[in-house]
Amino acid sequence: MTIHLSILIFWPLVFGVAGTLVPRNAAPVFALVGALVPLGYAVLMLFDFDLAARGLQYLTDDEWIPDLGIHYRLGVDGLNLWLVALTTLLFAASALWLVFRPPPRASLFALHFGVAETAVLGAFLAQDLGLFVLFFDLMLVPFYFLVGIWGGPERIAAAVKMVVYTLVGSLIMLAAAAATAVLSARGGNDLSFAFSDLVANRLPESTQKWIFVAFALAFLIKMPAFPFHGWMPDAYRTMPLPALAVFSGVVSKVAAYGFLRVTLPLFPDAVHDFQTILLVLALLSILYGSVMAFTQTNARLILGYSSVAQLGFITLGLFAADNAAAGAQGALMQSIQHGLVVAPMLLVIVLLAERAAGSEDIRDMGGIAFRAPVLAGLFLVATLATLAMPGSANFAGEFLILLGMFNDQQVFAFIASIGVVLAGVYALRLYIRAMHNRTGPAVTSFEMSVRDGLVLVPLVLAIVAFALKPQAALDHAEPSVKRAVAPVLQAGGSQQAATEVRP
Amino acid sequence: MTTSAWIVLLAPLAGFLIIALTSKVLPWRAHGWIGTLAIAVSFVAAIATLVALEGRGEEERQVVSVAWDYAVAGGVNAQVAILIDPLSVLMICVVSGVSTLIHLYSVSYMASDRGYARFFAYLNFFVFSMLLLVLAANFLLLIIGWAFVGAASYFLISFWYRRRTATAAGIKAFVINVAGDVGLVLGTFFILRGTGSIDFLQVFERIPEAFGRNDGDLVAGALLLLVGAFAKSAQVPFHTWLPDAMEGPTPVSALIHAATMVTAGVYLIARMHPIFEQAPAAADVGAIVGCATLLIAATIGLVVTDLKRVIAYSTMSQIGYMIMAVSSAAYAAGMFHFMTHAFFKALLFMAAGSVIAAMAGTQDLDRMGGFRRAMPFTYGCMIIGGLALSGVPPFSGFFSKDEILGLLVERGGWHVVLAVLGYVGALMTAIYTFRMIFRAFHGDPVPEAQELEHGHLYHAPEHTNPATGEIEDTDVGFPGADHHIAEREGTMKIAMGGLAILATLGGVVQIPKVNESLHTFLEPAFHDSRLYEELEPTGGLVLLGMGIGTLLGLLGIFIAYQLWVAHPERPAAIRARLSGLHRFFVNKWYFDEAIDLLLVRPVAWFGRFCNSTIERGLVNGALVGGASGAVRAASAAVRGIQTGYLRYYAALLLVGLTGLGAYFLISA
Amino acid sequence: MSMEWYLVVSALIFTIGAGGVLVRRNPLVILLCLELMLNGSNLALVTFARTHGNGDGQIFALIVMVVAACEVAVGLGLIVAIFRRRLPIDVDELRELQG
Repeated sequence: MTIHLSILIFWPLVFGVAGTLVPRNAAPVFALVGALVPLGYAVLMLFDFDLAARGLQYLTDDEWIPDLGIHYRLGVDGLNLWLVALTTLLFAASALWLVFRPPPRASLFALHFGVAETAVLGAFLAQDLGLFVLFFDLMLVPFYFLVGIWGGPERIAAAVKMVVYTLVGSLIMLAAAAATAVLSARGGNDLSFAFSDLVANRLPESTQKWIFVAFALAFLIKMPAFPFHGWMPDAYRTMPLPALAVFSGVVSKVAAYGFLRVTLPLFPDAVHDFQTILLVLALLSILYGSVMAFTQTNARLILGYSSVAQLGFITLGLFAADNAAAGAQGALMQSIQHGLVVAPMLLVIVLLAERAAGSEDIRDMGGIAFRAPVLAGLFLVATLATLAMPGSANFAGEFLILLGMFNDQQVFAFIASIGVVLAGVYALRLYIRAMHNRTGPAVTSFEMSVRDGLVLVPLVLAIVAFALKPQAALDHAEPSVKRAVAPVLQAGGSQQAATEVRP
Repeated sequence: MTTSAWIVLLAPLAGFLIIALTSKVLPWRAHGWIGTLAIAVSFVAAIATLVALEGRGEEERQVVSVAWDYAVAGGVNAQVAILIDPLSVLMICVVSGVSTLIHLYSVSYMASDRGYARFFAYLNFFVFSMLLLVLAANFLLLIIGWAFVGAASYFLISFWYRRRTATAAGIKAFVINVAGDVGLVLGTFFILRGTGSIDFLQVFERIPEAFGRNDGDLVAGALLLLVGAFAKSAQVPFHTWLPDAMEGPTPVSALIHAATMVTAGVYLIARMHPIFEQAPAAADVGAIVGCATLLIAATIGLVVTDLKRVIAYSTMSQIGYMIMAVSSAAYAAGMFHFMTHAFFKALLFMAAGSVIAAMAGTQDLDRMGGFRRAMPFTYGCMIIGGLALSGVPPFSGFFSKDEILGLLVERGGWHVVLAVLGYVGALMTAIYTFRMIFRAFHGDPVPEAQELEHGHLYHAPEHTNPATGEIEDTDVGFPGADHHIAEREGTMKIAMGGLAILATLGGVVQIPKVNESLHTFLEPAFHDSRLYEELEPTGGLVLLGMGIGTLLGLLGIFIAYQLWVAHPERPAAIRARLSGLHRFFVNKWYFDEAIDLLLVRPVAWFGRFCNSTIERGLVNGALVGGASGAVRAASAAVRGIQTGYLRYYAALLLVGLTGLGAYFLISA
Repeated sequence: MSMEWYLVVSALIFTIGAGGVLVRRNPLVILLCLELMLNGSNLALVTFARTHGNGDGQIFALIVMVVAACEVAVGLGLIVAIFRRRLPIDVDELRELQG
């Protein structure tokens, strides 16, 4: 069976645009159709995906701007298969949420929503550096409007801060991407942005270094990692929660995926040289994010800082560079799982706020569980998965990350494991302060509606299903991840060999 | 046989799911019976597995059954697989058997609680987790079961979640247990790196070749595994959660915090015996910590006035014996004590629960007294449990405890010191056990007891938290509209009676020189142990040890009788004379304060520091300020040109055009 | 007569016009100066047409005149409208475009 990736990518955009042309109350339905069909298509792709085949599948390859060597090249392999599925799932869940709770100016919201999904899917599926950068930057546009128009108080400042800060990273990356293609075309090759061509003509180590720094900066800002997360608190505080669910769930993963797709295969020598710096940043993200998460009282920010910590784990795994590539596989696993877990958590905050007189501060909540046992149960499953309790697929990811780190440099694994304990503290603190203890003064608890359940139950079931068999995702990922990491290992190996020879 | 073992595991899970999904549908007490039935099925299947295992040849008593791949990637070979061998079968029989009785007890005991269905769902989930832990065939699955029991324990400690003390105790237990999980994970990494596998049987086979004796990596790994064991089994210094865990309902204390979960550390060390035998340095640490715990806990048990906490400290102390035993290669003795302890400690907790119900929720020994006539059945059970705990023959605890101490003496060297300290602990055990019994059941009846003697169960006018005096929020159930005591509830009587019989007779499976069936039964699981067969108590020593044990037990009871029945004014005088020591014990050796000072406060301070300084200065000031500052400066420069004066724009246009023209003229 | 003189005169007229546009603040005068600039360039166009001997430049000049007429009509209309609404007749006051 052939899967047309272009349909997958642009379907949401088409329906987003169409949504602006129909009567206002029909717009969310258009958004839903725009998100459900890609979900179905992605699920189809999961089943159809050929595990035995090597390399990219469902390849779409057209010349787009021949003069610049930019191709319209899309493809699926083990690196992005599950991330695409995750993206479509989270967007479908959020779209369903919007149908039940339409925001003001819903048709415009739906348009930006569709653009966002197209951009994220495009970034995941692009197999050309130029195309990747284009979609990567396109992601920013809809979220700028989603914050700026539908955000909470101080939305303009937050939107500007987010856009300016991440745009700085993006622009640096754009320059670096252009430099990569131009410099690798120097030896008489045709100018090409396709990943396969760039991998074939790898840059010399000294050039790799500064280009890698540019890419790393862009991705670390996007993630966000300590200390580049300055835009995150404001953006998290004001972004409408259904949008934040997909933003936190998948947009940050594009950055992690970018490391895996772009930097590891293209700049392996630089990765090897900068490994320690990135590992230290990852550790700082873990510890700093965890510690910050349990000083916050705003439920959104608790999750925001916990995401900083979780993405710290992902970065740690990506740069673990162990021989069996356990770290990178764990990082990919954790990317999927974190997205799957943080989205329902953020949607639950909407429900909590409805019960706590509109406040998203955990000091105003408390005792909600008693009248809302189903909500409490779903929230509990998501909470336990967030803190990566063994038995959740998040733990499988974290286990592999720590194992990879342990086999490469065990000190980092020991320090990172402090973050595991801290995660238990902040995640349970959120749960207990919201659900347990005495009923808050302004709390009027009630069970969640069937419509909320329609959104949350499938997500939680997905978490449980993954918990039973994380292997499902690992099977697809292993060969691709190993291929992505192999150049870094070679770089490490060759350098070791060189130092052995020298004395 | 593998089918029945899977049924053992899946029956509680099915029970949990059924109860959770039908909690709103089925009538009131149905959930209790469903939960009990699920565990009973599990128990029957466990017995079937035991019989099937016994039917096999000596060499074929270690069976692995694989269900599916869990995570096979990056050098990890984790499968969902169970290991059936005598050790795990002994565990599942005891766990499911005791759990069945405790479920039965809870059917009545919790009957008036508004969280009835939730309680049984959690309880079934716990049993599933515990069985998963003991049946796991590899490290990853073990860690999963390990964490699941921790989570179940958290759910049940915080069961009455409107109590702030209960949620605080819950999160404390959970976090300490997560720290233990991390120890286990890191320990696994060391083992995995050395042996290239996480499958138990493969690992144990490869240990001797992969690591030298007391190899640094192996000792580090074994010590990290011990951290996991200590955290779960409440050994010093990871024990502070267990006394607080008594916030949970009493059946929970009986099941999780006495009979099953807290002994997981003992099981872990016994299961990992090839590792610990190859790393004796780590095993020695285990033995010493076990010994220290048994003494520390016993001293605290002497002064605590909360009925459940006395039993909790006694649990810590008894697990200290077990940890000491399995760390000193007395595996069968350790498991034997685990089994008898499960019987008599669950019994003690059930009896305590009955008393607490009669007191309408009050747990303070200072306010109890004279329940002997009002609650004869509970009193009898308490006495049986107390005698077993004190190690008085012929009760079960006598045989298991003395076997441990006898084997320690047999081991020789500095282990003899541990044995002597163990005897000191045994004396204290007898004292604090009977102090508790005498204070609750002897002396003049308190008003509650008098009311009960007249046939009426006392009800508090308003319910308060026994720890803080705060008025309870009874929405979530605590403590229910009605209380239930063993004298009036058939199921509670059956459960306690069953355990009383087991606590009395449980010792017969292993009587030195008479019957060694437990030792023989466990042998296939320890076939690769160098020390298992060597460690045989010699005749004279056994009799001497038993004699000393009996004497110390009786002496302890006599002292307790003298102090709290014959001369009730003496304890106060002793307390006044040793006030410093008393304060030290009452404050639990200041462990909570030390942990607070060394860990909690620095982290909290660091959090505030991050929030106030780093976030504001570095992240927002320097980096965000830097990036947006650059953009702002550039845009300010461009904005300066936009004056809005028409002629300014015209002039610019002109200058630009002229410049362009000039450029082309010059270049031409 | 060489074409330089015509071009010098045309440049002078253009510059005077440009200077007026930049310096004056009364829109009416600015409009007048704009006319001067247009006519300056017209002169140059006609000069070139004459020198090179084809009519293209003259056609251009005619079109410019037509456009100038339209522009004057629109511009004067605007000025009258501003005047009628009693707004100050000073272009410096009209600076909504300031950044």
